[in-house]
Amino acid sequence: MTVSASPPTGRAAPIEVRDLVVRYGTVTAVRGVSFSVAAGEHLTLLGPSGCGKTTTLRAIAGLEKPTAGEIRIDGAVMYDAASRTQVPPERRGLSMVFQSYAIWPHMTVFDNVAYGLRVRRETASDIAQRVGWALDLVQMGELAGRSASKLSGGQQQRVALARAFVFSPSVLLFDEPLSNLDAKLRAEMRVELKELQRQLGITSVYVTHDLEEALAISDRIIVMRDGIIEQVGTPAQIYDLPRNAFVADFVGSANLIRGRRRPELDHGGFVVIETPGGALIHGVAHGRSAGSEAVFSARTVHLQLSRERPAAAHNVWPARVRSRVFQGDFTQYHLDWDGRRLVLRCVTSEPVAEGTDCFLSVDPRHCVLLEE
Amino acid sequence: MERFTRARSWRPGPSLVSLVVGGASAVLVFYPIVYLVQASLSVGDPQARPPEAYGLANYAGLGRYAHIFWNTVLVAVIATVFAIILGFAMGWILSRANVPGREALEQLMALPYYVTPLMGALAWSLIGSPSGGFLNQVWRALGGDGHLIDITSPYGIAWVMALFEGSVAFVMIGAVMKSMDPALEEASQVLGAGRFRTMLKITLPLVMPGVLGATIFVFAEMLGSFSAALVLGLPNRFYVVTTAMYQLVSQYPPRFPQAAAMGVALFAVMFVMVYIYRRIISRGTYVTITGKAFRPRAMDVGRLRWILFGVCLGYLGIAVVLPVLTLLYASVQRLATAFPRAANFTLANYVTALSLDAVRSALWNSLLLGGATAVLGVVLMGFLSWIIYRSRLPGAGFIEYVLMFPQAVPRLVFAFGMLWAWLVFPIPIYGTLWLLLIAYLTVFMPLGIRTISGVMLQIDRTLEESAQMCGASWGYRLRTVTMPLLRPGLIAAALLLFIASVRELGASILLMGPKAKVITPAIVEAWFSTSTELTAAMALLQTLAVALALAFLFAVARRALRPVGE
Repeated sequence: MTVSASPPTGRAAPIEVRDLVVRYGTVTAVRGVSFSVAAGEHLTLLGPSGCGKTTTLRAIAGLEKPTAGEIRIDGAVMYDAASRTQVPPERRGLSMVFQSYAIWPHMTVFDNVAYGLRVRRETASDIAQRVGWALDLVQMGELAGRSASKLSGGQQQRVALARAFVFSPSVLLFDEPLSNLDAKLRAEMRVELKELQRQLGITSVYVTHDLEEALAISDRIIVMRDGIIEQVGTPAQIYDLPRNAFVADFVGSANLIRGRRRPELDHGGFVVIETPGGALIHGVAHGRSAGSEAVFSARTVHLQLSRERPAAAHNVWPARVRSRVFQGDFTQYHLDWDGRRLVLRCVTSEPVAEGTDCFLSVDPRHCVLLEE
Repeated sequence: MERFTRARSWRPGPSLVSLVVGGASAVLVFYPIVYLVQASLSVGDPQARPPEAYGLANYAGLGRYAHIFWNTVLVAVIATVFAIILGFAMGWILSRANVPGREALEQLMALPYYVTPLMGALAWSLIGSPSGGFLNQVWRALGGDGHLIDITSPYGIAWVMALFEGSVAFVMIGAVMKSMDPALEEASQVLGAGRFRTMLKITLPLVMPGVLGATIFVFAEMLGSFSAALVLGLPNRFYVVTTAMYQLVSQYPPRFPQAAAMGVALFAVMFVMVYIYRRIISRGTYVTITGKAFRPRAMDVGRLRWILFGVCLGYLGIAVVLPVLTLLYASVQRLATAFPRAANFTLANYVTALSLDAVRSALWNSLLLGGATAVLGVVLMGFLSWIIYRSRLPGAGFIEYVLMFPQAVPRLVFAFGMLWAWLVFPIPIYGTLWLLLIAYLTVFMPLGIRTISGVMLQIDRTLEESAQMCGASWGYRLRTVTMPLLRPGLIAAALLLFIASVRELGASILLMGPKAKVITPAIVEAWFSTSTELTAAMALLQTLAVALALAFLFAVARRALRPVGE
């Protein structure tokens, strides 16, 4: 793990998860996950479906009963395998936005949002005031009286949000809240969600399989696979310095290049490998060590294509354009290089024709040594 | 931000309450079955309770009744074949062909079910009994010899049962056909297969498991059916297992152990059937894999659609209109005959029926019981559905299995177990309406749970979870989220329970006490001991009472169903 997850001293972290294991029958969905969330932090659990991220979130919420480990909220034990403690969800003081929104169709928008306040027996005037405030924040103030069954997907999403934060929970949990929206609305809501998060200053744990979403709204990202944590870091760390092949591949698109280590050629902070085809690649290790074999990750957007040989001293090779796919915002090239295929994405400018011989280059700082 | 905490006194958690209710319901189901088995093993004095000696002699003696078992299987097979043909034909027509008025016809197809086998049997006896049947009277008047049809033959009994059960088969098979993605058929046609080839190679194989499941289910129901065989077979001494059991119990001296052994044997066979049925269904037929309901595009069948339309109307006419009209016609005659004569018409039968204290109290008792069963049943079965499908308690699956048990036991057999079970019960409820209430709540458990859980399974679990995340306790959630969302299912279940209870025969006929009669067994008694015309009037009065009560309930329910907001 590249980043330690220590809470601010003096106060218990809003959420602490230790050695969490969740098993369904013979299937182990989460196998020993530990992390903590600092006050006011926006943490995202990122991973492909089936990686255990939603299960972890639901275990924090209390909706799943873990098999082993410990969960604390604001220092209080919510789940502890050793003492057989399992506090029911309604007494954890959390709140959650569901993937399906879970808006109650038999109530009005107002009643949906007021629910948590009524449970807490707030006075009618307090409820009216707080619900009004929450609905205004999500720009739904005018629809308070509408039946919830007559809302669009985006509107339901906003009501679900307002309902979740209106009673000032200690932590807000998000279970893939944007995945049911269409692409355009999703991009809009992503920005709104981030603004709202900052405005409320509320601690949040967010689950998604969408990389862009995770990069956009998180202070910190935990990448999960098969029930374990693969990497923890800020969005920039996760993107620029993927720890291993899985993270490199899942977080954006990367070329993985394997070769024999040539330590005798290392210089100026760069490490060097030699591909089976004989190409020498300079890259950065960031303190990671490698054996006699090593893998570099190079993002498709960091590769450069040029007709003339660039002046750089390292990492310049001849290559041939095999195919070209125009994708609007960028163009994707498939290159024949060193007896294999590489993928390169660049902003669409002057297109290079298929079959053209050209030069491929990459800044050594963008070739990252991976752990195996 | 302060964390939400609230001082709370100890309250029974969901698991404890569930355990108690689930356990009590399981006892309700198993208690009579244990007594049924016990009675079947009694080899001492047949009247002695508890049995003086145990043995297998009663089972060994079943060989004597081989012809009754044969009758049962014969009638059940004929009725099943006929009901499935009816159900398949109606299912195919109404889900695949562009017949006029498809939607309305689909709704009307439930009607034969509401006519009940008892009404059907009474009416068809009037139409087709060999001597006095209206149809046979006309036949002889036209110069025919003997009789045209004999409704008291095995075929006749099976015919009456099948007309009723065809409606059930339609619902099951129609659902399978509807759950099939029309794209599967379209793909075949796009690839060049003709309509006939598509039907043969794609449609049929896909719906086959569903049809097979329906067949087994219907066969099990037919094995345990009672009313039609009682009304049509008893005068002829043609017995099936259920009517033979009834005879053994109601004759003097009663032969309880033999009847019990017969009941256990029938129960065993039906249990296997229902088990196979559930295996077929749970294995997930290919068709239902997606679980989506498609609105299949109907094929344009050209002029054939009018013929198919006629087929649907014909079924409704024979299964609904004809029986009701026949009963109506008979009920306004002094002496029921096929040929109208002005002097023969009278309303005296209705006057008599309404003036008889026995009839009035029986009708009132039935409505009272129906209402009580509906109200208590909905609360109990709603809660049980929640335990089974929502609570995620350990043992929920087992509770489901136990509660679906009565589905595999004919109500008469079940009532027989109750008869013994509650006779020894310390609180004297035998012979009172309380016993009938308990019986109805038990035997209709599968009906109520299936109806409610159908709606419950459509309610996304996160709707309850989000209430939980808002801090709502278990009871608060149930009251504010779960119950309101379930309301349509609960109301449907209440209506069904009410109808089923008021028209129940198999259990009531055994458990009803002389001072607490209910209407359906009273109708059967009238049929055997008083006049046909009076019985017809009583049957129609019962139907009218049910219809009025339903109209009232509907009016109440409509108000309850009005959507919130706007």
